[in-house]
Amino acid sequence: MTDVTYCTIDELMAVCLARTIKDHDVVFNGVAVALPFTAIMLAKHTHARNCVFLGGLPAGVDPQPPFLPPTSADAVMLHGAVTILPLHEIFDLAQKGKLDRIFFGGAQIDKYGNLNNTLIGSKEKIKVKLPGGAGASNLSCFAKNFTVWTSRHQVKPADSRKNYTLVEKVDFITTMGHVTPSGTRKEMGLRGGGPDWVITDLGVFDFTASGELRLKTLHPGVTMEELLDNTSFRPVMAEPLGETPLPTREEIELIRRLDPLNVRKREFSASQLERRYPVKN
Amino acid sequence: MLIQFKGFVCFKGWYFLGGFITKGEKIVSLKEAGQIIQDGNIIAVGGALSAREPIALIHEIIRQGKKNLMTIGGAHGLDIDLLCAGGVVGAVQNSFVGFEFDFGLAPNYRRACQSGKVQVRETDCNFTLQQLRAAQYGIPFMPMPRVGGTDILQLHPEFKTITCPFTGEKLTAVPALKPDVAIIHGYKADKRGNVHLTKPYFADVLMATAAEKTIVTVEEVVSEEEIRELGIVIPYYEVTAVVEVPFGAHPTACYPAYAYDRKHIAKYIQLAQEGEEIFRREYLDVFVYGSETQQEYLRRVGDEEHFKRLRAWRQDITSWMEVFGE
Repeated sequence: MTDVTYCTIDELMAVCLARTIKDHDVVFNGVAVALPFTAIMLAKHTHARNCVFLGGLPAGVDPQPPFLPPTSADAVMLHGAVTILPLHEIFDLAQKGKLDRIFFGGAQIDKYGNLNNTLIGSKEKIKVKLPGGAGASNLSCFAKNFTVWTSRHQVKPADSRKNYTLVEKVDFITTMGHVTPSGTRKEMGLRGGGPDWVITDLGVFDFTASGELRLKTLHPGVTMEELLDNTSFRPVMAEPLGETPLPTREEIELIRRLDPLNVRKREFSASQLERRYPVKN
Repeated sequence: MLIQFKGFVCFKGWYFLGGFITKGEKIVSLKEAGQIIQDGNIIAVGGALSAREPIALIHEIIRQGKKNLMTIGGAHGLDIDLLCAGGVVGAVQNSFVGFEFDFGLAPNYRRACQSGKVQVRETDCNFTLQQLRAAQYGIPFMPMPRVGGTDILQLHPEFKTITCPFTGEKLTAVPALKPDVAIIHGYKADKRGNVHLTKPYFADVLMATAAEKTIVTVEEVVSEEEIRELGIVIPYYEVTAVVEVPFGAHPTACYPAYAYDRKHIAKYIQLAQEGEEIFRREYLDVFVYGSETQQEYLRRVGDEEHFKRLRAWRQDITSWMEVFGE
């Protein structure tokens, strides 16, 4: 087996994402998925053995894929599934309030947990057309909670003008967080509880009672200066501010076994993957 | 073999008039299938992301130079990107167009949206599913729990907030969306148009049921006995035309026949990233305009060995994994 005395950022983040899943949760993840797929499979093999995994667009229930594919629509995600649902039944479950957790990436994430995956610029003048939110605008309103992640909290040092991922205000709200110009979840009568965790390559955030992003832990070796330098606003800080708990050796071994093609690494740059994090024995 | 006049299409002795198609054989050529689609049509494109997209038919639509089509669907990739490059779409109403973390953004879609050539009508998978459902159920709209706070609503002024007449709860209502034509790639069909799809179905059955007309391309046309044995997922009366096109979803996957062609997609992305002109010259001119038949297309894609590898996924897990390797 590979060296498990240390881990890399993809593995540390997969463990952080997995820990947001509770046993018996019903969990779905749709598109652009390597990291959450890894996390959900990991949770199912560790602390959340009874969670129900609705696996990607193919909508296999509790799949046991022999490897994770780089595309979420592949039939490998049906391998070993208990059954296969029509896609609309996943959304029916969400509408009925039976979806406990879903994972959303964010090209931009603002301080209320609103996500932008639609466009940079404005809808009248689009600078960059992003792929889109898939089912996220609806599911963010229906699911009990969701975990947000980004592998791009760290702004590239070469950029003269920083393109932050964590921004004061997103260019376009694809996915509803806690507070938007049209109001809060409560004011609009939305059924879902909104985002409760944001996991980045620098740290872990939760939310205050008023729905603001709050830094909870920094990843090992990450300084406050580094985090603030890569965030366009000053987030609320938890007291006390801790360090992200270390992954265990067992978790790291499992991740490497569940994702032998290392597709989870594809969203990280080579320099991000060079950084090493300690593992708890 | 195609006669067409207002609202009436006729192939080789069977007829169709805006309702169920219950009579006759439905096998047509790719060219005839393409002619069913009219400029300005709303087309529902089946499959998803890297799976079972009707690529051969999309090539034909581009070759026929259709204008101002609007696509609807969920999370897609190469199909919509290609339609944008071919200049045949005026609006895209999909929920996602991209290549995930494997190859990233869809270059042609992105260019078309940024230049304003294509109207961005980005939506949500569930909005589309509910709109198709309303069309399938024969009702004017579909209510759902309230969707709020998202700017996707600004792109769709046709979606409304309504009050439930029974509970007083605020709900979101979306109008029925009836595609003019659904285009789907299935595994096998018989000549009457009974279709066997392999799972996952994505939104294909919903699209076929909601649409005015449905064109299905398949890997192979087989006997009615065989199709009954395999299981009929879309019955003949929902199907307007069937085209036999081996590797008709290539380079996306059509299990169990073949896995997706990651190598070809990598080449596609590389050329698309190099710009509109290079993509036109080195991809469209070669694989679309320059390949009038599927046979010619496949010849240009690769040799026998190449396609053997795409079919080898089912030998064992190692062979399957190799499809996704470097």
